[in-house]
Amino acid sequence: MRQLIVRRLLQTLPMLFFVSVVCFTMIKLAPGDPVLSFVTPNMHADDIERIRHNLGLDKPAYIQYFIWIKEMVQGNFGYSLINHQPVLGQILERLPATAGLMGSAIALAVILAIPLGLVAGANRNRWVDKLINFISYVGISIPLFWLAILLMYLFAIKLHLLPSMGMRTIGVESPLDVLKHGILPCSVLAFGFLAGYVRYIRSSTIGQLKEEYVQIQYAFGSKKSTILFRHVLKHVLLPVITLLGMSMGDLVAGAIVTETVFSWPGIGSLGMTAVKGMDYPVIMGITLFSSLMLILGNMVADILYSFVDPRIKLKG
Amino acid sequence: MRKGISGVVILVLLTLMISACSNGNNAASTNAGASQTPAETQQPAASEPKDGGSLIIGVASDPVVLNPNYAGDRVSLTIDQALYAPLFQVNKGEKTFYLAESLTPSEDNLTYTLKLKDGLTWHDGEKLTADDIVFTIDSILDEKQNSFLRANFLIGDQAIKAVKVDDLTVDFQLPQVSPAFEATLVQVFPIPKHIFENETDIEKSTKNAAPVGSGPFKFKEYKAGEYLTLERFDNYFGGKPHLDSVTYRIAKDTNAANLALQNGEINVQYLDPKDVATIQATNNFEILPYSEGRLAYLMFNANSDTGALAKKEVRQALSLALSRDELIQTAYTSSEYADPAKSFLTPDALYFTNEVTTFDNDAAKAKELLASAGESNLKLRYIVQSGNKAQEAISLYVQQKLKAVGVEVELQNMDSSAWVQKFIDLKSTDYELALTGYIMGYDPDAYRILFTTDSSSNYSHYSNSEVDKLMNDGAGEADPAQRAEIYKKAQELVAEDAPIYPIAYTKTVVAVSKNYGGIDEAVLKPVVIFEDLSKIYQK
Repeated sequence: MRQLIVRRLLQTLPMLFFVSVVCFTMIKLAPGDPVLSFVTPNMHADDIERIRHNLGLDKPAYIQYFIWIKEMVQGNFGYSLINHQPVLGQILERLPATAGLMGSAIALAVILAIPLGLVAGANRNRWVDKLINFISYVGISIPLFWLAILLMYLFAIKLHLLPSMGMRTIGVESPLDVLKHGILPCSVLAFGFLAGYVRYIRSSTIGQLKEEYVQIQYAFGSKKSTILFRHVLKHVLLPVITLLGMSMGDLVAGAIVTETVFSWPGIGSLGMTAVKGMDYPVIMGITLFSSLMLILGNMVADILYSFVDPRIKLKG
Repeated sequence: MRKGISGVVILVLLTLMISACSNGNNAASTNAGASQTPAETQQPAASEPKDGGSLIIGVASDPVVLNPNYAGDRVSLTIDQALYAPLFQVNKGEKTFYLAESLTPSEDNLTYTLKLKDGLTWHDGEKLTADDIVFTIDSILDEKQNSFLRANFLIGDQAIKAVKVDDLTVDFQLPQVSPAFEATLVQVFPIPKHIFENETDIEKSTKNAAPVGSGPFKFKEYKAGEYLTLERFDNYFGGKPHLDSVTYRIAKDTNAANLALQNGEINVQYLDPKDVATIQATNNFEILPYSEGRLAYLMFNANSDTGALAKKEVRQALSLALSRDELIQTAYTSSEYADPAKSFLTPDALYFTNEVTTFDNDAAKAKELLASAGESNLKLRYIVQSGNKAQEAISLYVQQKLKAVGVEVELQNMDSSAWVQKFIDLKSTDYELALTGYIMGYDPDAYRILFTTDSSSNYSHYSNSEVDKLMNDGAGEADPAQRAEIYKKAQELVAEDAPIYPIAYTKTVVAVSKNYGGIDEAVLKPVVIFEDLSKIYQK
């Protein structure tokens, strides 16, 4: 297993290199220029050109790429063109906020999706199934930013139960305070995934309930809930693990929207600002980081797979 | 299964705990800026200024750099206004002295002597002296440093010199007469020499992360992506500020920021005119529209490959086809938030006059002019920033109104980066129309780069040798009466030539919680909201 993990990790290097080339090319092909993000009409052309030169933006694109690679190898991922701070430092500073939000959202989605999906599948076409299906449809169709504003309005403005935005009350350093601030963004991010998971688990449950081992359990007089949660669940969990690995990309995309709306100080909102300012070292840093998460997410899913079902053997 | 679920619950709690703990690396502080509920904001107003309390200002992004030599974005400039004191400020032609006690031009107007107030200190207790002023100007002028302000300190191609006379006196030596020099000096917020003197790259210096200024509030803590808090500077030369602290809360989404405002989590916030009614309905806020000295205008690109707008008559005809009042209603919802504009100067500028020739709202005359210019079946390309509501609304209006005079307008929607790149590229020839705006400051010389032949920001490619001469003469004319004549004439000529269609002097709308007083004394100011935050108090 250890050898396999090392081999898989080594395989990520050429993949990340490829991603970096594609990402850099796309940024350079896109219209815009980081200097333009701070140009004002009363700035003189000489100043604009001097700043562009000092930032190395007048060099050919391939040289800019190699300069970035050099910075990355040195371990700082380059410097932001806008605020001139090392990119790695900015990512690491915001990583805990994003990890906390993503981790709790995915966990919340799984906690709720498993029983809801099982119950819906076991009660196919009954009112419970229809209700859960309806909620899933809403979850799939509703735009995250709209849901965020709606919940914010309801829980912060109308009910005064939760803070509307940010990660903490100003000047307060308390995990409980962060938990309180995290409820709304975590719920919004989780809701988008919940819907997809529920539908997947529901159809998987329906398929499992037709299997012979379920009929045997019924014949032995086992309770429906016992069959569902003790026997069917094990089989349903397997595709959920795959789904989790595949969700990493969507999770990053969802986090960008959620973090921006809730002013959650994570990597998503940092990326949004970088894209607006065409700050390519930051965009590159975040893209590589997200790609790494996606690759690692899938690797962890594969490993978990082999734990849940020992019949599955991993091959590098 | 139960074990599994409780495991996941623990995971949820743990992940949130991790993010909470790992961000708690800054010094703990008292809950000075704790959010207030709307009930709290409805307390009865007290008439006398009180000391204590905090103010939370909503800002749209993180500050880029907390160093006034490099701040170009609205948020950094806003925070710097509280952290760093200026030498002096100018409002409606009147000077208010801050660090400076006086600024006196020599008889030949080639030297300006600046006297500093006595007993000035930086936030760390060091004395603020003439050395700091000279160091600030020298670092702006240093080509290796990236200050945006450098070109402002060149007259012709020669640099202004700052020379220390004594600890409290600096002489600014100009290579030639330049009455606009005072407007350049207004932008200077001195930085401390003792902090930065050995830094090779001040812009990248880690010392910018813990700024030492001389303004009414000093740096306390910054949580990237969340907020930045300043605390009262007791030795502020203008008198001890009333508030204990000021926090700039980062709220990137406008809708969310408005909700936080209503919830009392933000006390001061820019408002889009369309949101004013909602916020006003809460009855918890003063709605304060004020002029930013900004002109919104439709730009005619005379350099387009069709050459259509190179003819003055065509530009005048296009202007006649439009109505300022309708445009203001379309883009800004009400004339309360925008005053009709006719001159290229803004009302805060010296020698401004709106009594100039105007082309407005006369479709019949527009058709006549187009015919006399020999233009029929004119087709124009209008570049629009996607997602910019005002631009989109105005572009549709312009398309419809120009169609009525026989001009077809093709709208080209593009991403804002692409739009800016095309707009500021003086070689762009593939479009004719664009909506934009500028804030150029109070001295009319600043507008020279927009309206003189081949100058760096002359995006409409306007060229009139008489205007060139007037603008160049105005830059070096020391006599205010003569200068007034020059710029009055220039405004008239530019209005007659119609290189742009001035639409409105737009206003910025700010909502301030009724829980705060001293707003008038703090002075509402373009870009940075308040000129002097030390005057604001909690009622």
